[in-house]
Amino acid sequence: MEAVVVDAGSKLLKAGFAIPDQAPSMIIPTQMKRMPIDASLDDPSLVEDITVDPIVRGFVKDWDAMEDLLHHVLYTGLGWEMGNEGQILFTDPLCTPKAVREQLVQLMFETFNISGFYASEQAVLSLYAVGRISGCTVDIGHGKIDIAPVIEGAVQHIASRRFELGGLDLTKLLVQELAKSNPQVKLSLSDAEKIKEQYACCAEDDVNYEKIQVSCPVEQHTLPDGQVIMIGKERYTIGEALFQPSVMGLEAHGIVEQLVRSISTVSSENHRQLLENTVLCGGTASMTGFEDRFQKEASLCSSAIRPSLVKPPEYMPENLITYSAWVGGAILAKVVFPQNQHITKADYDENGPAVVHRKCF
Amino acid sequence: MYGGDEVSAIVVDLGSHTCKAGYAGEDAPKAVFPSVIGSIDQMEVDEPDNPDKNSGSVPDSKSKAKRKLYVGSQALGFRRDHVEVLSPIKDGIVADWEIVESIWDHAFKECLLIDPKEHPMLLAEPCANSQQQREKSAEIMFEKYQVPALFLAKNAVLTAFASGRATSLVVDSGISGGSTTVAPVHDGYVLQKAVATSPIGGEFLTDCLMKSLESKGLTIKPRYAFRRKEMRPGEFQTVDLDFPNTTESYKLYCQRVIASDIKECVCRAPDTPYDDSSYSNIPMTSYELPDGQTIEIGADRFKTPDILFNPSLAQTIPGMENFAETAPSVCGLPQMVLESINKCDVDIRRELFSSILLAGGTASMQQLKERLEKDLLEESPQAARVKVLASGNATERRFSVWIGGSILASLGSFQQMWFSKSEFEEHGASYVQRKCP
Repeated sequence: MEAVVVDAGSKLLKAGFAIPDQAPSMIIPTQMKRMPIDASLDDPSLVEDITVDPIVRGFVKDWDAMEDLLHHVLYTGLGWEMGNEGQILFTDPLCTPKAVREQLVQLMFETFNISGFYASEQAVLSLYAVGRISGCTVDIGHGKIDIAPVIEGAVQHIASRRFELGGLDLTKLLVQELAKSNPQVKLSLSDAEKIKEQYACCAEDDVNYEKIQVSCPVEQHTLPDGQVIMIGKERYTIGEALFQPSVMGLEAHGIVEQLVRSISTVSSENHRQLLENTVLCGGTASMTGFEDRFQKEASLCSSAIRPSLVKPPEYMPENLITYSAWVGGAILAKVVFPQNQHITKADYDENGPAVVHRKCF
Repeated sequence: MYGGDEVSAIVVDLGSHTCKAGYAGEDAPKAVFPSVIGSIDQMEVDEPDNPDKNSGSVPDSKSKAKRKLYVGSQALGFRRDHVEVLSPIKDGIVADWEIVESIWDHAFKECLLIDPKEHPMLLAEPCANSQQQREKSAEIMFEKYQVPALFLAKNAVLTAFASGRATSLVVDSGISGGSTTVAPVHDGYVLQKAVATSPIGGEFLTDCLMKSLESKGLTIKPRYAFRRKEMRPGEFQTVDLDFPNTTESYKLYCQRVIASDIKECVCRAPDTPYDDSSYSNIPMTSYELPDGQTIEIGADRFKTPDILFNPSLAQTIPGMENFAETAPSVCGLPQMVLESINKCDVDIRRELFSSILLAGGTASMQQLKERLEKDLLEESPQAARVKVLASGNATERRFSVWIGGSILASLGSFQQMWFSKSEFEEHGASYVQRKCP
């Protein structure tokens, strides 16, 4: 049986058997609704329901909910049988505390009784998906943005940066902006998510953005509950926020500038290799016009070597950008598990959860 | 006594330029960020609710204005008006504990994402730390952060451990630290009376390089001061931006960052003592500044590092003439080494000569090891065998203090030496002197 690869993000959980050239077989939202009597998943909305987010900003916060979610994914979704569990590969975001990793290993071996485990960092996996082992990953997810330079498969922790800013904050910004222009419409976060995915885009450059602020074609959108909302320049504001965070009121540099600064911390002989192999991944990075804007900003950026993006190979599925960490995990799983470099049940029984720090990096 | 084998200890090294923090047992610190902070003085005292970065908000402050502090390379990298860059350490000792606390907060909560209550702490301290400073660190650690156990180790001892020796002479020249320290370590203990320090460190060399470049007409523009604009498709031009409200200290900080990068890339220690005439025909190396300007550096490549060996050279650089008045009795690196060794017992001198360790960012300059060895061979007594050691990897040299701490904290035999919380509560902070020699 193939190993299972699970990439649990703040918004979407990608899971599937490790078949590298395909998309993951399960892409489900991580958010769950808790029913009053017992917890179950993805029910149609009831009158009183509490949404539960097991993963906040990339890290697992609610372990019970995570357990339920994984139970559903592994047994119901992927068809594992109790008593015949296989091997599993997890992806970690940057700066995962040691305690979180240990707890995950413990959960998998003790509750799910799997036979083999491996964990790897998302940045490295995204690079594997495009066929590189050195480069710089810019992962713009729902709960966080990670910028990680990777040299020969090792993440340079000293130079990597993590921002607690992501798709979620962009959605909140959208709600704010739409409330300004459509004061009578009440917008929930989940509706705003859908609007964001459908309409958000990036202006071509900041000069264009200024023009759009002044005048922009307005479109009409009908919400599920029947209200009609007008969307105009707000669509571009969302995209702009990544390049000019001052739009959101944050005092920080835009994404390209952060990338260049983070790489300048690495020793200079590697700069060229890193900047010329920049990989974008993450749901938010699949916004219309984002890549082009990124390239444009990169050529304007104040540095000798300009960042340039890597093109994914042709044999990879479309939309690689949203789940490249999963695909990289599938590639890695094919290497690690057959060669017995993973943590087996025997290793875990002998050494305890701390074995994850020794065997998986 | 504290025995913790499941939970990892945390090693923190607060240097005068960068703070390094990470888990014990790893081979490099996870969090490396500048140990200076940006602070904006807020003169309005009637602010009932303070932003969370604000520390030390005392309602009836005597004369302290409330400050908003920005810690970490991300926060510092963004230019804000009126930000003053402050360092908590002056002349090697901690002057402002509030800043130190905010740096530790940043390391624990934002970089490592840990709860200090669950991890024993190993702190690296300078060799010349006073009893009062140690007690204050212990107090803050136990009372504010509630760590279960603590240990304070001297920098020199940790460097010696990192190379696997218990006896050696450690030459620690920080990357931009205030000073260079030469400290003999014998069997894991620093011989206090033989420690020699000199104010010439990485920062001083960076300043010399900056002044020297300025005198040649090349100004280093800080990163925030320019932007490229596309004038026509395919054609770019650098435009200067002016921010009048930026403080001098912030501008200097940004320039220093760039200048120290130049220094790391380009400077080499000369094989023979520098003099203007023989080095005037050196081929120039080019270096590209962040704004795209390319500068040529020739004789300065060798002149600047030679200041370590011959401090009076600094006077020849325009702008640094006043150096002579501030430190008349400063001697070069080889002299400091000899002075320090001569203050030790005769028996151990031979061992010290044969294991001289180089540590710190400035020590990773190219050819420094060879030059020091050569100079020492000339000056040392005939019978002594001089050997200068430095680990090959540049990262290892920069972080050798931290790596030594990581090794120490993960040794099995070290676990009984921790200064635990119960001991602190029983005996008080002054017990730290007994527990952490």
